Amino acid sequence: MFLEFVEGPLWYFSAVVFVVGVLWRLVDIWRQPSRTDLAVPRGSGVPGALRTIVTRSWTAKGFSRGATFHLVAGYMFHIGLFVLLIFAAPHVKFIEERILGFGWTPAPHWLFMVASDLAFAGILLLWLRRLMHPVMRKISTFDDHAAAILTFVVMLTGCLALLKSHDSLRAIHMLTVCLLMVYFPFSRLMHAFTFPVSRAYTGAAMGRKGVSA
Amino acid sequence: MTDHPSRPAIPSEPRQHGVPPRVRARITRYLLALLAFVLIAPLVPYAAAYLGAGNVPNPGAGLWNEVRQRAGPADANTQARGVESAVLINQVGERWRQFRSEMLVPVGAWLLLGTLGFLALFWILRGRIPLEGGRSGQLVPRFSVNQRVVHWFAAILFVFLAVTGLVLLYGRFVLIPILGPEGFSATAAACKEGHNLFGPIFPFAVLAMIVLFLRGNGFNQIDLKWFFRAGGLLKGHPASSGYYNGGQKSWFWMVVLFGIAISISGLILDFGVFGQGREVMALAHVVHGGVAVVFIAASLGHIYIGTVGMEGAFESMSHGYVDANWAREHHDLWLAEMEAAGMVGVEPNALEEVKRHDNIDFKGFGSPGTKAVQG
Repeated sequence: MFLEFVEGPLWYFSAVVFVVGVLWRLVDIWRQPSRTDLAVPRGSGVPGALRTIVTRSWTAKGFSRGATFHLVAGYMFHIGLFVLLIFAAPHVKFIEERILGFGWTPAPHWLFMVASDLAFAGILLLWLRRLMHPVMRKISTFDDHAAAILTFVVMLTGCLALLKSHDSLRAIHMLTVCLLMVYFPFSRLMHAFTFPVSRAYTGAAMGRKGVSA
Repeated sequence: MTDHPSRPAIPSEPRQHGVPPRVRARITRYLLALLAFVLIAPLVPYAAAYLGAGNVPNPGAGLWNEVRQRAGPADANTQARGVESAVLINQVGERWRQFRSEMLVPVGAWLLLGTLGFLALFWILRGRIPLEGGRSGQLVPRFSVNQRVVHWFAAILFVFLAVTGLVLLYGRFVLIPILGPEGFSATAAACKEGHNLFGPIFPFAVLAMIVLFLRGNGFNQIDLKWFFRAGGLLKGHPASSGYYNGGQKSWFWMVVLFGIAISISGLILDFGVFGQGREVMALAHVVHGGVAVVFIAASLGHIYIGTVGMEGAFESMSHGYVDANWAREHHDLWLAEMEAAGMVGVEPNALEEVKRHDNIDFKGFGSPGTKAVQG
């Protein structure tokens, strides 16, 4: 009964909030007024935008030592989460049956194990560093902690329900997924969609000024 | 018919019907003997075997000896391909089951409950160990950011694995009365998946602990004196120590040795696709379960003294600083070293912290390996 509710009305409600919320946030960013650049452009903004999207994927020279932890743990978490989200067998089945109508070959079990361990280790290390590092602690807000904890809980409940033997475990996982989807558009988690926009904006501005940044 | 004149008439006896009593008694005796034979005869081989009168083969013994493969599976054939696929009944499995149910579960429970009881008794008798001199207000940096991150990373994994492992070991006795069979089934299934999934991360946490905490954890004579004075836990017996005391060093080496043992045995159990048979798996389980219970019991002491048991201890791992009086009462030799280095009474300034952290990354603050005073 509870599972039917979570996978039925609550799921659809959360999906609508997620999609509409994300689109609303992106459109809102798009509609933000920008200052008119009166200077004569020294180059096109497009190459700068594309270059910055790529080059911001690793640390700039001079910052590598201090950012190694973030770089490694960040990639561990994000790559692991991506594999879990897109290629975990239960997710592929869910996407096929409930969203797209078609699926793809899921990841083998060993890859699932590796990906989940990377993701769990990565998010734990990143969150602990946020708590322990004096500067990180000062610049962190409630949203940062809530997003990290909620994401961790969603991953954890998903892995605990992996045996697929009990509806209650699946219902708990789906409930946390719905919570995350509702919270997503109004939180820092939006960086999943805004990071290329942000990088492209900065890169285009620098490209027009002829600055390689 | 007329009477014969030469023979006197014999008075006629009353006529008897049926089997004569003598015959009947004889038949009864025969039947009882037959019954006794039927009842007793099957017991003769057992009696003979019991008395050692001779080898009376059990007709089923040969069959079961073959099935149980006491002599090994040399002549067993099967079309199934796999590890020990030709083994019908594994002797090791029964020995493992007996160890688990008769040794690991009860002895482990007594050890854990005994440790909790001891800590409760210690708390009642000794109470929280206070800072005798109160707080000085002067801070001393003790653990770096990386040390604290790795410590809590390992701690979170350890607690999760310990709880899920204990549910798998004792849930049947403890949780079924509370959650019922269905509730326990779901809980156990979740714990099994969680335990198997988080387990492979733990070896990396242990490795990081070794890298970040190895320096300064070698035993020396100061630790011997520390042990003789029971670590100063008893009133009126102050014990000197350097950066780490004897108890902390003992705990560190427990983490290393138990961590390695539990990691290797856990990986053998978690990834059963590398040709390890039941014998290896059973041995790995014995090591894993036995070490885990001792590890958890020891960790209770560590958690107690690091939180409620001692004033001022927790902040060394939460914020990285300790009060100078705490350092004086529990790590006096290290405090002397820090005073000499001008590191006592520093302000917990974030930028200064980062600067120090970046300068001596992965080494720890005032690491005793760089100074003459060690302990």
